[in-house]
Amino acid sequence: MEQLPLPTSLAEVEELIRALYQPNPPETISRIQEVLHRLQRSPEGWQLAQSLIAHREDNIRFYAALTLIIKLNRDSAGLSEDDAKGLLGNIIGWTVQSLADGAGAFVTRKLCSALVTYFMHFSHLWPSCVRHVLYCLDIGRGTSVEGLDDALGADLLASRLDRPKLRVATWFATSFVEEVGKTDMSAAKYFDIHNRLVRNGPDVACLLARGFSPPSDNPEIKIEGEALACFQAWILYAQRASPNLELVTPLRQLVSPAMNCLADRDLFHAAAELFADVLSNYSTFFTDEHYEDLASLFESPWATQHYRRILHGNHDEDGIAFGLLMLAYGDARVQDLMHSTDGRAQRLLESLGGLLAANGYLVGEDAIFVPALEFWSTFAETMVDETYSDEAAAQTWRPYADQHLRTVVMNCWRKVQWPPADVFAEWDSTERVAFGDARKDVSDMLQSVFTLEGRSLVSFFADLFLRAQAAQSWPELEASAFCLGALSDCISDDATCDQELSKVFAPPFFHLLAQGESRIPLRLRQTGLALIERYCEYFERNAQHLPDALNLLFAAVGDSVLGGPSARSISTLCSSCRSILTGEAGAFIRHYQSLRATQVLDSLAEERVVLSIASIIQAIRDEGQRLDMFEELYTFLKKDFDLAVQLKAQPGLLNLSDPDFLRGLERPNAQSAPPADEIALQIALRSMRCLASMAKGMQDVKEHVVDLDSEPPSPHADSRLGRLQENIMHLLVEVQRAFSTSGEAVEIICNIFRAGFSETEPGPFVFPPEVVTSYFVQQRFETPRVGTLLSTACSFVGSLYRGPKVHVPAQLARLLPWVISILQALPEPEADTEISLNGIGFVDRVMSKHPEVLFHHNPHLLEFFFLFSIKVLDGSEPLPKGAAAEFWTNFLSLNTPPQSPLHATLAQAMTHLGPLLARSLVYNMGGHAARSELDKLSEPLKKLVVLRPEAARWLEDALLLGDGSGRGRAGTEGADGDGGGGGGFPGWERVGRAERGVFLRRVLGLRGARATNQVVREFWLACRGSSFAYAS
Amino acid sequence: MSLCQNRLQEERKQWRKDHPFGFYARPQKNAQGVLDLKIWECGIPGKEKTIWDGGLFKLVVTFPDEYPTKPPKCKFTPPLFHPNVYPSGTVCLSILNEEEAWKPAITIKQILLGVQDLLNDPNPESPAQAEAYNMFKRDRAQYERRIKQIVRENAAP
Repeated sequence: MEQLPLPTSLAEVEELIRALYQPNPPETISRIQEVLHRLQRSPEGWQLAQSLIAHREDNIRFYAALTLIIKLNRDSAGLSEDDAKGLLGNIIGWTVQSLADGAGAFVTRKLCSALVTYFMHFSHLWPSCVRHVLYCLDIGRGTSVEGLDDALGADLLASRLDRPKLRVATWFATSFVEEVGKTDMSAAKYFDIHNRLVRNGPDVACLLARGFSPPSDNPEIKIEGEALACFQAWILYAQRASPNLELVTPLRQLVSPAMNCLADRDLFHAAAELFADVLSNYSTFFTDEHYEDLASLFESPWATQHYRRILHGNHDEDGIAFGLLMLAYGDARVQDLMHSTDGRAQRLLESLGGLLAANGYLVGEDAIFVPALEFWSTFAETMVDETYSDEAAAQTWRPYADQHLRTVVMNCWRKVQWPPADVFAEWDSTERVAFGDARKDVSDMLQSVFTLEGRSLVSFFADLFLRAQAAQSWPELEASAFCLGALSDCISDDATCDQELSKVFAPPFFHLLAQGESRIPLRLRQTGLALIERYCEYFERNAQHLPDALNLLFAAVGDSVLGGPSARSISTLCSSCRSILTGEAGAFIRHYQSLRATQVLDSLAEERVVLSIASIIQAIRDEGQRLDMFEELYTFLKKDFDLAVQLKAQPGLLNLSDPDFLRGLERPNAQSAPPADEIALQIALRSMRCLASMAKGMQDVKEHVVDLDSEPPSPHADSRLGRLQENIMHLLVEVQRAFSTSGEAVEIICNIFRAGFSETEPGPFVFPPEVVTSYFVQQRFETPRVGTLLSTACSFVGSLYRGPKVHVPAQLARLLPWVISILQALPEPEADTEISLNGIGFVDRVMSKHPEVLFHHNPHLLEFFFLFSIKVLDGSEPLPKGAAAEFWTNFLSLNTPPQSPLHATLAQAMTHLGPLLARSLVYNMGGHAARSELDKLSEPLKKLVVLRPEAARWLEDALLLGDGSGRGRAGTEGADGDGGGGGGFPGWERVGRAERGVFLRRVLGLRGARATNQVVREFWLACRGSSFAYAS
Repeated sequence: MSLCQNRLQEERKQWRKDHPFGFYARPQKNAQGVLDLKIWECGIPGKEKTIWDGGLFKLVVTFPDEYPTKPPKCKFTPPLFHPNVYPSGTVCLSILNEEEAWKPAITIKQILLGVQDLLNDPNPESPAQAEAYNMFKRDRAQYERRIKQIVRENAAP
């Protein structure tokens, strides 16, 4: 963009400024701005400002004031003290003049800002700035500071000003504190500025006192509002600077006049906001006397009027400032109000409780409820604290406070009631979410109240519940159920409230919930069913109602809205009450069967139902009966698998009018059905997830002791359990074969295995170890999700270690070559982090308990693995790298008897591997590793130093490697080039031989102590140089 | 009261006054029902218009005695499938790391919003679990299917 030439005359400048404020294309504006900026910054800028400041056009004047500010900020260092003093007199003069000749308010305000900017640079020349401004306004012209008569106090000067002048002075005082407040109070360079500002505090107080009771000229100029804003800015500053009595004391004198503004209709909002703000954030600013005054104010007829409007008025139109003011007062005085039993405190608390009962629905119409609830939550929590800290004293005030809480609870109960459906339908999503959030807040508060009131609170809601039930008042019944549900976390695990709850969980309630939607609203059913779930421990203790409850829930599983939560409730109840429900297993299976026959269930709901039934089956004591039930449930799933495999083989079988096929669709919509083999896969996956749920349900909830030296309790292959396991295993293999590209299938199979790994007693999913091993070793690198298979194999090893020892080595010996073969198939060690991480983890686990298994293997496999793990260590993938560091730490720590063959094998291996490991560690610590990896990498280094006498030599060689002789680290030839040529590590050019020597000596000297980590960190920093960035 | 307790009181107050939609955060209660301000139970909703939309994930935030000098620890319970969540459930995020971007001025609201952002915007530079990290890098379609499944299992009420 071509620059405009600098203007050559004042007229041209004026023209440019005018054009700047005219509607113009953006490019024109920015070109004008650019040239004006150049002008402002030039040495002629001062002159320019001065020439234009008295212009008749406001825009030009404003621009001149702006130029002054820019000049002050950029070039004030170039002014001599005399120049600066002269300048001050001028700016004040221009400010006074702007008022006198009727310039726009924005011009005068900008000039006030220029004065503040002046103060920021020359506060030492202008310590009594506020009084000086008052003085000049009084005499109607700018004077030098020396001309200010010390005998003239700010109060006297302020009393002589008319409203327009007072307003200008107030603008200045506001901008003054705001701008100075933006600078760092603790920074030495601003120290004097803040001190001088504080010394102006008393003068500001005089000014504002006059502002709050201004002279009677120009009554149309309301300067009290300006005074309030200024006062608030000064309080905010005082809070940040506190404690500073020099400032706070004069400001406090303004509280009463400011309080008077509350009664002025025009000033009410600003004043209420000021008081609420200070009460909430700086309550110590007010004295006891102020609090007294406020309390009396709340009792005045004026307050009664405002209070009524909050309760019955329109919050949208009138606002809720008065309510917020009351709440802020309550919050600041919460302890006093709680402890005080006098009438006034009681009346105020009553009013605050009443704020929870304003007209209108939450939150769209009633905006005061949520802030009021916040106060009452604080009140209840404070009550809990105070009750526990001084129980004797609490006896006096508790009855009063309890009474208020009862009102609060009742009001909340009314407020959380849902509106009629047609009203709710009109709410936007924000209002709906806010309504739900407010209900959550109520439930939080109720939990605090329960801590205080205990059983009587349950009794209270139970009564409301029964009354609403009898009256068929659904919103009230829903609210009662909701409130009872909120208390479940507090009481469900003991029986103290069972008597109250038994009134609720009784036939009328179950009967009611069994009714369809035509009779009771959906929300009531929802909350009712959720209530059952929340009190599942109650049902455990009171089993007579369990079947009723579960039948209800089963009936709701097919519902599109209630299905999910009902299934979740069923699984919670069945899982925790399994031993009571064993007799119902058959009935529940039939429930499941009939549900399946009539509709396609939501897949997640179905999984939960299957899990529930399986958990009941698990608790059946008689094995024969248990397996009968298991097989009955399993048969449904097996049929699904068979269907899926058939469909995959013969896509022509697809018949979308058959519900069994519809199970393979996300939504039963025949128009956009995917191809048959996708449907087949989905049918299979869905049933596999159900099978995994069965496996989870079959997990025992009790702990059993395992004798590690016993014979393994695997079932005989020809036993019923054995045959069942064989059948399941066959099914898994078959599904995987049919859907060989599905990673999800593999993932679910892994979940099924894992469910069995944690079990100590025999069961359908507790496969014999050799069966699991055989499954693993058949998997190839090409199997999808093979990394997950490896991680499952790691869990398998863990479960083997927790069980009888006898057959462990045999399984490890079969698995180890399989794991290494998968690693060998990787194109490079970092190609798949899950495989590398779990492969290394697996070998580490084997080595930790059975090193002999590891070292009796084919030496080529082992050699591959060791070099592989070093390459991983040299790489950049944090997770496998961490695992490799841990492996080497454990490897180095292996403790073998000196005479054993294993000892000799290890020693021999180390002569070859030691130097490679040392190089890799040095390569990492010399700048390659990320900072967050250093601690992990320090571990093998420490072990190396402590346990290997050759470590010093290996490390020295690694540190000096390639000083002119190239890199030559194992396995990294031709890899990355971050070393940049010679040297064994990236930072080799930054640390000389001497530094490397110091590093080595310190590491060796520490002999594996913790401080090694710090030494490593320092070396790494030195190698990284200044270019270190954290995220590396 | 200690600095830690003071600050947590204030955080609680601020959270009550102003918290983002769909989130919850509340101190746990101890056996007597008294609040333990140093352990918070929180819920993080998946962001709208992302694959995480519709899910609500439970997070336990534990504050050390040295808070706010030291950051709190955030842990998903149960552990979440996500590249930057450790198998234990602990969240790996720079603003939660004392040696990285933690600052005492960071509020609970900012932390929870930060964790919410992380859900759909994982940082592949600091993987914390291999499974999610690997799938995120190698098979985005399957990763997204898996997330959708997780969202279904953790649907917001």
